[in-house]
Amino acid sequence: MFSTNAKLRSLFELRHQSSLSNYVTRVAWSPIGKGFAVCSAAGEILLYSMKTFESVVLQTETGCSIDSLAFSYDGQFLAAGGQSGEVNIWQFKPKPELIQTFKNRSAWIDQLQWSPTQNDLAFSLGKTVQIWDAESREIVTTLLFGDSSVSQIVWHPGGESISLGGYQGIKIWMTNHWDDDPYHLIVPSASVAVAWSPSGRYVASGNLDRTINVLEWGNPDPWMMSGFPGKVRQLAWSDRSIRNNAPLLASASAESIVVWEKHEDEAIGWESRVLGSHEGVVQGLCFQPDTTLLASASEDGSIVLWWQATSMTQVLEGVSDGFSCLAWHPQGSYLIAGGEQGELLIWGQSSRGQGFKRR
Amino acid sequence: MVTELETAVPVTVLTGYLGAGKTTLLNRILTHEHGKKVAVIVNEFGEVGIDNQLVIDTDEEIFEMNNGCICCTVRGDLIRMIGNLMKRRDRFDHIVIETTGLADPAPVIQTFFMDEDVQSLTSLDAVVTVVDAKHIAQHWEADEAQEQIAFADVILLNKIDLISVAELDELEKKIRSMNAMAKIYRTRDAQIEMDALLGVKAFDLDRALEIDPNFLGEDAHEHDETVTSVAIVESGEVDGNQLNTWLSHLLRYQGQDIFRMKGILNIAGEDNRFVFQGVHMLFDGKPDRLWKPNETRKNELVFIGRNLDETALREDFRACLVPTQS
Repeated sequence: MFSTNAKLRSLFELRHQSSLSNYVTRVAWSPIGKGFAVCSAAGEILLYSMKTFESVVLQTETGCSIDSLAFSYDGQFLAAGGQSGEVNIWQFKPKPELIQTFKNRSAWIDQLQWSPTQNDLAFSLGKTVQIWDAESREIVTTLLFGDSSVSQIVWHPGGESISLGGYQGIKIWMTNHWDDDPYHLIVPSASVAVAWSPSGRYVASGNLDRTINVLEWGNPDPWMMSGFPGKVRQLAWSDRSIRNNAPLLASASAESIVVWEKHEDEAIGWESRVLGSHEGVVQGLCFQPDTTLLASASEDGSIVLWWQATSMTQVLEGVSDGFSCLAWHPQGSYLIAGGEQGELLIWGQSSRGQGFKRR
Repeated sequence: MVTELETAVPVTVLTGYLGAGKTTLLNRILTHEHGKKVAVIVNEFGEVGIDNQLVIDTDEEIFEMNNGCICCTVRGDLIRMIGNLMKRRDRFDHIVIETTGLADPAPVIQTFFMDEDVQSLTSLDAVVTVVDAKHIAQHWEADEAQEQIAFADVILLNKIDLISVAELDELEKKIRSMNAMAKIYRTRDAQIEMDALLGVKAFDLDRALEIDPNFLGEDAHEHDETVTSVAIVESGEVDGNQLNTWLSHLLRYQGQDIFRMKGILNIAGEDNRFVFQGVHMLFDGKPDRLWKPNETRKNELVFIGRNLDETALREDFRACLVPTQS
């Protein structure tokens, strides 16, 4: 199945298993790590506590999918949006209380993200994005992306800017100058994945035309990577480097994963390595915080953990069809994944694995 | 691959001018007791008077790739919406996409050939065009009106109660000269059997090419429209390499003007029929079933396009035939 000959180890073991009624569209950790939220294509939203794995139903099945779900940086707010065109925002006092609802026309709210440094929420509304300040409870600004619906919303890790992806590339607005024209990273097709490196130095765009652009902030000439088997739909940066002090950029296209590492020599640019292939489209790709352990979740029904983003060390299974999403605990001690048939699985770091790691 | 084909959701593309009867037809599809659960993607939300969770509104978003090459133009909104919809594939077993009266059908169709997700999750069933028999005369000059007919697999000549039979015959003849492949139905209030509309499999290469015999038999085709069909029926064997060279050249230089093409070929040295289809510059072909022992092997091709040079097409095709030894 996989074209690597790495030694398998058990780094993570299954801790809890549950299910929703339909395709799990998103899982989101509270940044303080005490729990997480999960939502489905049938419209359910559930909150889980990590201590007991008990869940609270925030919203039952509505028939309209929830496609976006995120906690604010301080864990105080949770926002959800989806097919109905509504954005709902709950505040934890500490019980969740619905404090705000935006009802829009029929546009699906498939993107929303909180600022990493303050309680500002950005949500998509077709070709525009609105920024809502949870403190003043007002819409601060409306950003016009213009060229198409917004396919991606990504805040700069320091909160300095916000990047919107879509047709013709990425537009980047500085948060302290909302009215200034955005910086435009031009892509000759459409950007389908956007990711900032954790240091805020690089921004990458995965594109519909099977290419990646990487821009070093402040340098007008982006790098271009090509030769992918399909649209580049997942991008993930590591917050640690293996060498050269450069972060790793993992990219997924169709069934394959390619990891990029910047070479010391500027003339060489970025070097790539291809990781063994999944047998289905990769639907989720994340680095464990503070390490270079990469997790990839695929439609083929497997999650693979790649040691140093290089060799396969563990395969996690447990869904009847395929995996649809995954997310690491903020400290990396747990991994959650959702399935196409509503499965929810939670793995925790295994004691055996840790013992092995220390040796 | 087999499982993909089994689970691929068929998609019907519904085109036609504003007021032709698309909405009537759409409502008919949504309320009809055909046992199918239909999800509808509409571009003109206001028009549909039905409250249904499976009616989804999008705005047309044209994505040009490769510096505006016409065949690489797709509909970004459809890629996104079909992706969203397919997470709940248990809720429907057919998708209907309604385009606006002014939409170019090509990017919609090309999305089904170009986008890897749309291609693997769905299969294009047919392009259905509703024509207002009474008012189409006012729209003949518009490219969209002609293209919607040119791209169609199924044409509903609607509102036939508003014109005379003689006018209707004339109109049908005119439409037939533009599109020699489509099934034409005469309707009132868009009343049509659902079997003629959903599950047509017009883009399935395994489905036989049907050229209207009347079209082939007619001596004088009308040529006052720039959009025409050219049908070629020839016996003999085709030299595969020569054909390849000709078609590549043709699509490269005239692909912009060729809306659709379809064909069945008798390739020299092959026991199987070769079937193909094309939309602008996109080409899709494969060996089909064996020629039957008692079957007359022949070549049938249809081109639908703008400003087609019928004589050149025929001559260039004949030049690909293997000379018969006599």
